Amino acid sequence: MTDTTATPDTTGKGGGRRRLVISQEQIVLIVTALLAIGFALTLSGFATIGNLLALTRSVAILGILGIAMSVVVIGRGLDLSLVATMAVSSAFALQLMQHGWGWPGAAAAGMGVAIAIGLINGFIIAFVEVPALFTTLATGFLIFGLGRTFLLDGVITYLPPQAETFAWIGQGQLLGIPAPVIVLAIVALFVQVLLSRMTVGRFVYAHGDNVDAARLTGIAVRPLTMLEYAICAAIGCLAGLVMAASTASINMQIVNSTLIFDVILVVVLGGVSLVGGRGGVLSVLAGTALIGTLLNGMTIMDLDNNIQNIVKGAVLLAAIIVDNRLHPQDEETARQGD
Amino acid sequence: MNATNPPESGTVILRVENGSKMYAGVHALQDVGFDVRAGEIHALVGENGAGKSTLCKSIAGAIRLSSGRMSVDGQSVNFQRPGDALRAGVCMVYQETSLVPSMTVAQNLELGRERLITRLRPLNIKAQQQLQSLNFHVDPTVLVATLGTAQRQMVEIARAAYHDARIIIFDEPTASLTPEEKVHFFYLLRDLRAKGLGIVFISHALEEALELADRITVLRDGRHVVTQDASTLTREDLVRHMVGRDVQATHYGRRAGSDAKGKREKVLTVENLTMGNIVKNMSFTLYAGEVVGIAGLIGSGRTESAKIVSGALKRNLIGGGSVYLRGRPVRYDVPKQAIDDGIVYITEDRKLNGFFETMTVEENIHLGSLATKKGFRWFVSGRQRRELAGALAARLKVRAVSAGAKIIELSGGNQQKVVVAKSLIQEPAVVFFDEPTRGVDVGAIPEIHQAIRQLADEGKAVVVISSYLPEVLAVSDRILVARQGRIVEEFSAADASEDRIMFAAIH
Repeated sequence: MTDTTATPDTTGKGGGRRRLVISQEQIVLIVTALLAIGFALTLSGFATIGNLLALTRSVAILGILGIAMSVVVIGRGLDLSLVATMAVSSAFALQLMQHGWGWPGAAAAGMGVAIAIGLINGFIIAFVEVPALFTTLATGFLIFGLGRTFLLDGVITYLPPQAETFAWIGQGQLLGIPAPVIVLAIVALFVQVLLSRMTVGRFVYAHGDNVDAARLTGIAVRPLTMLEYAICAAIGCLAGLVMAASTASINMQIVNSTLIFDVILVVVLGGVSLVGGRGGVLSVLAGTALIGTLLNGMTIMDLDNNIQNIVKGAVLLAAIIVDNRLHPQDEETARQGD
Repeated sequence: MNATNPPESGTVILRVENGSKMYAGVHALQDVGFDVRAGEIHALVGENGAGKSTLCKSIAGAIRLSSGRMSVDGQSVNFQRPGDALRAGVCMVYQETSLVPSMTVAQNLELGRERLITRLRPLNIKAQQQLQSLNFHVDPTVLVATLGTAQRQMVEIARAAYHDARIIIFDEPTASLTPEEKVHFFYLLRDLRAKGLGIVFISHALEEALELADRITVLRDGRHVVTQDASTLTREDLVRHMVGRDVQATHYGRRAGSDAKGKREKVLTVENLTMGNIVKNMSFTLYAGEVVGIAGLIGSGRTESAKIVSGALKRNLIGGGSVYLRGRPVRYDVPKQAIDDGIVYITEDRKLNGFFETMTVEENIHLGSLATKKGFRWFVSGRQRRELAGALAARLKVRAVSAGAKIIELSGGNQQKVVVAKSLIQEPAVVFFDEPTRGVDVGAIPEIHQAIRQLADEGKAVVVISSYLPEVLAVSDRILVARQGRIVEEFSAADASEDRIMFAAIH
């Protein structure tokens, strides 16, 4: 049997679906490069070191949040409470500093709050089996409300002046590179190793790809879900700390801003599909680079907020259309050759 | 090739000449000729990827041929969309039914023909008449969601007839039907044939094609191999045409000495397993080194029992019966616990919950190892993955385009082998196979059967749940028959026959 069967199986089939191999993140990177070249040629202030540093610095926090979000999105989840978690946990850390805590202790406590929130989110989603969308939408309000009521003194929490060391992660720089960008790089590296080199990361992809198969394969899906949301919240808290350090305060009104949608935008844009199991850290970085370049260029052109929103919306729509072309999910093509 | 058929058996309604379909430069169909006559049942057979679905979809207007001619009643046609085909009288009934579950049967029949305002009463009456004329016992006012697979299929057929279809194409219509339902379905097809309709049906079950069809067309690798009267073909002919070589039916079970039960180690004992209305007092015992086949109708509680034992489902908390693994009572909440104890369940639906479609063959297999206590590593090593997964892939003869091939690029048989490998890498002592060769190409079936045999030879306790009796007979040392949630009969391989099993499963 061994020698005779070699022919019929392999032929015909696999070749049928071989298409142009180009990933969404590559497309996004190419578009970003073209855009950057275009801006560099047409806008006088764009291609300066100072501007490029300002550009990366301005999107660093968005990038960190995007990477946080990508961990749950790859696991076929969604964390709409991410910005609330970020604001409450980092404001709590700042408040502890005001009360005389050292910054490492305060940051750890804020991180602890964030991880607890993440674990609760994960628990509700995995064990109570409420869809992630509803869970995190509800916990987002809860976190905001409870944080404002029980943890925090005011809407704006200021960084106490004595916390200079801590302020470095927002305001400092190393070899000319702004500290937020360095934090982004470290987070990106950490999550990249986690997702692609560590078994836990492979489990996250398996979870997002096919939950039922992951469960039958023997992956402990429910604790894994809790871990995903905890990691997401912890990185979110880090983003909040960077934000607090760079502006020397954290304003709870950020929870009511559109930041959460910007986060989802950079995640989806780069190719971390909401279907789960697809994309990675590089996709988020690509998405962040594109948005950063666009926003920066538009700022230099002095376009108002409404136009910027129109462009953002159009770019997201274009990304989703490209994604649909690249990863067709409909019955007709998915079953081709069956 | 059409010359071999007597011309008097009906006028040709539809004809495809030199039909070709290219996907990204590769021929899914190449110069295929095909025709359907009035009042005939025409079976279309071939391995997975042979182009059966592609051909039928192009006839039904769901896809367009890259080149070639198609004619209906001698008039050249070029269907742009399914609606065009429907107007020309060609209707396709897909595997996944295309009914709207939240609508009633009558509304589904009317679907696509509604006026601006549709009154329900006349609609229901019309639907009732239509259903009765076909002898279908389905209430037109119930929601489709509440119907079983067989009844949904009836509604699909009724809809086709309702739209005055002259050609109805069925894509593997019998795959999810129980034997009685099949009998009824065949009766319906013959009835439609008597009314002068042309029936095309795609099937993997060659016996069905031979029994039912007037003519059979075999496709292989997108090419037309042969079209002949069914009466002039045998099963062996068909397999040879499909595969391009001879495949022998082999018996893998132990012919002699299979009643040496007493000497073998008792691995797993299931007593009075009960879950809701599906599993009722299921009891059986598994011995090391033995393949146990479980036959029975769909819905007889076989899959559920296997899932309960392997932790994927939970039995009743009180009065749920007991499961003993080597004498120790066990009750698993999640599959992970069962896997750590050496019990694995290999799914009947690999697309739904078998493999990870975004991953490669090796990644899929290796994940099985990583998910066990013994195989867990904090960091993934590419070298280890290649070694471990490669060994398993080789053992099961997985044939992929390349080592890094994505699993979705593989044929059904190779995908199934990967899913099996993913479980075997977990070094189980008890293996449950659920429909191990469903949707698997003919050439790969014996290889999977050999792998099952090999497991038993290595001293594992193996269970094969299958609705395909020849398979149960071919692989089993001992055969259990399940009916209505319990085991009702046990045969040794020597005593079993299709008739006896069927008798036990139904009565």
